[in-house]
Amino acid sequence: MLNINDLHARVEDTAILHGLNLEVKPGEVHAIMGPNGAGKSTLGNVLAGRPGYEVTGGTVTYKGSDLLELEAEDRARAGVFLAFQYPVEIPGVSNMEFLKASVDAIRTARGEEAMSSMDFIKLAREKCKAVDLPQDFLKRGVNEGFSGGEKKRNELLQMMLLEPSLCILDETDSGLDIDALQVVARGVNALRSPDRGIIVVTHYQRLLDYIVPDYVHVLAKGRIVKSGGRELALELEKHGYSWIDEEVA
Amino acid sequence: MSDPMQAEQAHQGLQAQSDWGWLKDWRASAWSQFAATPWPTRKTEAWKYTPLKSMLDTEWSLAEQPGTGTGTVFEDWDRTVITLVDGKVADHDALPEGVTVRLLSKATPEQRAQFEDRLSKTLAGDQLFTTFNQALLAEAVWIDVAPETVLEKPLHINQVLSSSANGRAVPVRLMLDLGGRSQMTLVETFSSESDGPVFINPVTEIEVGDSAKLTHYHLLLETGDVRHLGSVQAVLRAHSQMNSFHMALGGVLKRKDIVVRHCGSGAHLQLNGVYLPKGKEHVDYHTTLEHEVPHGTSNEVFRGIIGDEAKAVFNGRIHIHKDAQKTLAELSNKNLLTSHKAEINTKPELEIYADDVKCAHGATVAQLDKGSMFYFLSRGISRQEAEVMMSFGFINELLETLDDEPVKQLLRPMLAALFAKEDELARHLV
Amino acid sequence: MSENIDQYLKSEYSAGWITDIESLTIPPGLNEDVIRLISAKKQEPEWMLEWRLKAYRAWLEMKEPEWAHVVYPKPDFQALSYYSSPKSMEDGPQSLDEVDPELLRTYEKLGIPVHEQEVLAGVAVDMVFDSVSVGTTFRQKLKDAGVIFCPISEAVHEYPELVKKYLGSVVPQKDNFYAALNSAVFSDGSFVYIPKGVRCPMELSTYFRINEAKTGQFERTLIIADEGSQVSYLEGCTAPMRDENQLHAAVVELVALDDADIKYSTVQNWYPGDAEGKGGIYNFVTKRGIAHTRSKISWTQVETGSAVTWKYPSCILKGDDSIGEFYSVALTSNHQQADTGTKMIHLGKNTRSTIIAKGISAKQSSNSYRGLVKMNPGAEGARNYTQCDSLLIGDKCGAHTFPYIESKNPTAVIEHEATTSKVSDDQLFLCQQRGIDAEKAVSMIVNGFCKDVFRELPMEFAVEAGKLLEVSLEGAVG
Ligand SMILES: Nc1ncnc2c1ncn2[C@@H]1O[C@H](COP(=O)(O)OP(=O)(O)OP(=O)(O)O)[C@@H](O)[C@H]1O
Ligand SMILES: [Mg+2]
Repeated sequence: MLNINDLHARVEDTAILHGLNLEVKPGEVHAIMGPNGAGKSTLGNVLAGRPGYEVTGGTVTYKGSDLLELEAEDRARAGVFLAFQYPVEIPGVSNMEFLKASVDAIRTARGEEAMSSMDFIKLAREKCKAVDLPQDFLKRGVNEGFSGGEKKRNELLQMMLLEPSLCILDETDSGLDIDALQVVARGVNALRSPDRGIIVVTHYQRLLDYIVPDYVHVLAKGRIVKSGGRELALELEKHGYSWIDEEVA
Repeated sequence: MSDPMQAEQAHQGLQAQSDWGWLKDWRASAWSQFAATPWPTRKTEAWKYTPLKSMLDTEWSLAEQPGTGTGTVFEDWDRTVITLVDGKVADHDALPEGVTVRLLSKATPEQRAQFEDRLSKTLAGDQLFTTFNQALLAEAVWIDVAPETVLEKPLHINQVLSSSANGRAVPVRLMLDLGGRSQMTLVETFSSESDGPVFINPVTEIEVGDSAKLTHYHLLLETGDVRHLGSVQAVLRAHSQMNSFHMALGGVLKRKDIVVRHCGSGAHLQLNGVYLPKGKEHVDYHTTLEHEVPHGTSNEVFRGIIGDEAKAVFNGRIHIHKDAQKTLAELSNKNLLTSHKAEINTKPELEIYADDVKCAHGATVAQLDKGSMFYFLSRGISRQEAEVMMSFGFINELLETLDDEPVKQLLRPMLAALFAKEDELARHLV
Repeated sequence: MSENIDQYLKSEYSAGWITDIESLTIPPGLNEDVIRLISAKKQEPEWMLEWRLKAYRAWLEMKEPEWAHVVYPKPDFQALSYYSSPKSMEDGPQSLDEVDPELLRTYEKLGIPVHEQEVLAGVAVDMVFDSVSVGTTFRQKLKDAGVIFCPISEAVHEYPELVKKYLGSVVPQKDNFYAALNSAVFSDGSFVYIPKGVRCPMELSTYFRINEAKTGQFERTLIIADEGSQVSYLEGCTAPMRDENQLHAAVVELVALDDADIKYSTVQNWYPGDAEGKGGIYNFVTKRGIAHTRSKISWTQVETGSAVTWKYPSCILKGDDSIGEFYSVALTSNHQQADTGTKMIHLGKNTRSTIIAKGISAKQSSNSYRGLVKMNPGAEGARNYTQCDSLLIGDKCGAHTFPYIESKNPTAVIEHEATTSKVSDDQLFLCQQRGIDAEKAVSMIVNGFCKDVFRELPMEFAVEAGKLLEVSLEGAVG
């Protein structure tokens, strides 16, 4: 479903991705780990089409067509979802308005009917419960004054409402307490399905105890430098990243 | 003596109708002051960005017979309404206990003496159109709320310009004296059913007594060829609280001078406002916070979105007098320009003569935040829709701070309709 | 704050002595003949005289501006003398060696390097004494690099084409009341031209000294940085303590052609008057630069002197991608009044400006920031950031902020912030509790407050500025 081939990208004047390759098939869960500043978030942002991130080489094919051709909103409508590492606050726009607009846009793009307000509110409340967010978070401004963990849960809430086909979770586990970690894991596991691809960016192998990945990759200096199964995560946890440096060098 | 607005005849006519010597003198002194004031130009600091040329194109007369109109309608809101059409009281609900209303036009001899006392206290200062109001004042509504009165229902002053107000100048004055430890909500709305040109010239004077609490809305909702030039002057006594919300929507020319004086220590002011000119509209808010005594706090937030060929002016002055130690005063003014022909002029001013104070102001002119825009896009929301939602959100942030649900319910659809020209887009906003 | 501090601190204006020298000063008064006389003394060509007269005639029609937040008795322009020169300068010394040593000692005493072999060898100095330049160092070395650095009176003769082209091109004769007056009677000042692509090999500086009583100083500075060139220029000012007010009305014009970079720093320490507000300089200055494509103009000023200051170093950001900066520390004490700030006029696309203004008011002084940020319709993608902070020391002073913000372009972004604060008792107490005395504590706090501006000054100046603040603040804690 997602095929990244020799991807080069820069932010402002800094080249960050230097020939990254990755293939995600439907039904697979990929974990990406790697040191700070390696380019993990950059990869997520490039895939989601964030302005300012410039692709300087390589290709990204999504469901058989060129993903990089699409505008950010069209990527979202085509089913690409990025759960942000640092979700922005949008004061004055209520979470509910925002969610409804987003669900409407994506359902329309999928050729489905728009949901009635009543149905939507019901659904939103239900999902709120699933991610353990009190209902009144729907009334507050988008992420406004949310704690770090609440923001992450709000990202998850959106993901569950939008039912994307490619989910990219950028450190959705960072800053979560143990209970919340399980909430996230449950949410992601619930979305696991044969026609959906999932990329989980994380620093902690702990999350992978709950979300068992099919593959683990190490992203360092803008490239996938090592790939393996679950056990790779355990090894990273034990030895850190330096041994990979040596191996790659 | 000059009469740039061709209003002398109106003034003289008004004077001729009255037998109240004191009132005539009071008006005459204002007239001479008005006539002696040089007509503002670009060089006049207070009018630097607001040309008054358009005020000179009409020979303004006073309405003899008020027309009819209903004005702003609040659905399902239990309130006490006083409706003024073309500056004359047309209708009013029964007044709750503790509230007295006196009308300048119907003052009994005893009330005349009280009016003389009250009106002598008010200061026009150098506000040109407060002076004009005094010179041509035919009606003043004076509301007195006894101490320790808690009004359950808001008091709504519903000012309407009728379809027969074309060519009229409508000076009108509202005075509210809120007694010590009393609490109430005052809602002033201004609307118009006139094709214009029409010139509404309202002055609102408020005194919030010791430890009293006032929630105040001053909503300029007139559309079309309405020129609204007026002022709000408030005095805060010790430990009182005033929460005031202003809004200007539509109309060719609006200028409001808001002056709030901290005269008793320990008072708190929250002053918020929103202006949304579009088309060729012009809005100008001049606010002044006078901290005359120690221990006062003020927080002021004004936001504007200026579209099409519209112009907005904001001047927010904070003046800390010599002895006003321990004052905390803050002002924020944020603006969005949404068109290449729109214009904003803003000037937040601090004038400080006491050292142990904390004052700050900030002003921005910007576009919608790019990071937020990407968040919308990444959730599949179109750019156009995101712009509408973010613009609305920018204003809604202030609306959300309002205590009164009915006011919100009145304003939200108006704003939604303003931002989202298509209903399609409005649906997420209301 | 504790009262006893006041007692052991005494403020002292250290540059307040008078050079005892014989001067030729023309009689007070202003009329066309006086202008002809000044022009004749400088043996100016006819066009220069005409230019002056045009300005004078315009000035006669103008009114002294009233809008600034300052109060002072209006100067009597007929009671001032418009030209004063040390007698020895009348003979026209050909080099520094021929200059009256007493004059040079004035500058030495002020700590200014007048001999090329001195330590501060990286700085070339032009010394302006009342109405004339008494000497300029390192002229040869600069000439070798193609840089012209000379008194403007000399430039009128030597480089008339440059002067004709640029004089008044940024600040027109009729720009404002004081600029018109200056254009009519300006006496001396510096002229700088940096040729294409040249990076000026050393810092250039001018020291202005008013010595003679009842005179005004009307200097005129013109700096032209040709395409791709770079220059850093410093300006210092002092005057003796005199009981009557003296007028200083200067004009500075900067022209930064494409890709050029001009950094203009001022440490202004004119005599501020005494503790009762008697005497001191009226400093009414017009400074403006025009920035062409991708060029940069940066103003840094430390204003501690003068009885009344009226000064708004500004940038016209004409070229696309040009940059304007204004970093200012303005300190007022006793009865000083300052109304100062900047104007950033954004005309070109993607123009950027930054304004950092720090005002410190002590005692009975009044300190105002007045600024204008203007985004014209063509200023696509332009940005401004403004930060104005005031620090109040004592409860008799005033601190004011009057920023005008005008935008006609929806893609332009303007951010303005202002705060006021005081040196709090808590801060002082903390310092004192750690063994730092109040005077030192205040000076530390004030220096911290000004850090963002001092950082922009050339090294030698930054140290001097810090000391100057310390001296100016003496006696302010109390
Ligand atoms: N706007 C920018 N301008 C310049 N450099 C940037 C910008 N954004 C990111 N970078 C740099 O790009 C590099 C990669 O950043 P990225 O956020 O992709 O790292 P990461 O792998 O997600 O790290 P972390 O584990 O800390 O989240 C970092 O060195 C970062 O500083
Ligand atoms: Mg990251």
